[in-house]
Amino acid sequence: MGDIVQIYNDYKDHADFLTVYVREAHPTDEWQMKSNVKDDVCYAQPKTLEQRVAIAKDFTARYKFPLPFGVDDMSNAADSAYAAWPERLYIIDETGHIAYRGGMGPFNYKPAEVRDWLAAKYGALKHEEPATSATPMAAASPTTGSATAPSTMNSPSTARSPK
Amino acid sequence: MKRLLKWVAGVLAVLLLASFGVLCYMAGSPRDAYGMVRYALPHMHRGTLKVGSDAPDVRLLGIDGTNHFHLRERWGARPLVLVFGSFT
Repeated sequence: MGDIVQIYNDYKDHADFLTVYVREAHPTDEWQMKSNVKDDVCYAQPKTLEQRVAIAKDFTARYKFPLPFGVDDMSNAADSAYAAWPERLYIIDETGHIAYRGGMGPFNYKPAEVRDWLAAKYGALKHEEPATSATPMAAASPTTGSATAPSTMNSPSTARSPK
Repeated sequence: MKRLLKWVAGVLAVLLLASFGVLCYMAGSPRDAYGMVRYALPHMHRGTLKVGSDAPDVRLLGIDGTNHFHLRERWGARPLVLVFGSFT
């Protein structure tokens, strides 16, 4: 997620950003990762929206996460609509169409593709000083060199050249 | 015939064990292999969206925990980068 924060800082004057917080990827009562224990990111899967919001707040507070935020409801409507879990990137163009669809994370989660799309439209921008200390969202790296999604489950990344 | 069945059963058992071994290797440990199959696979899906598809609208809750908004309110003037994820 650190890459995304840097992209946000570089392109926030040209594009809008929104983080959509979806169901936990590695909660304590499901498939918890050792890395989560090490990083003290230990939460049970929320049963209520209030619990999900509370975890999202912990995340934004810990990393001073600067991107605008929205939280998926407990029916996981956003997750379902965008095949978002555990993590995925999209770009929606000005006409409300999917302009970029990233692959399923963590292994096909590629912020560099978002940067490339934005760079093709607005030019390569790189600010030297990051405005935040945000570090990777745990979902972006649920492995410590271990878990691998079966390749058959990985969605291909597709990108359309920006107008 | 019985001999053939034994061979088939044996080959299947070996394939099953080999598959489990590969899964454990990919996941990192037998525990992670179980976690992947039990908790991750049911939630992994490709979806139907493609580049050029209409972006679905969904209702989201603001981080304040009070105010809802629609995703469609956030696109229009500029491209919208959507970042889906969670803390864990």
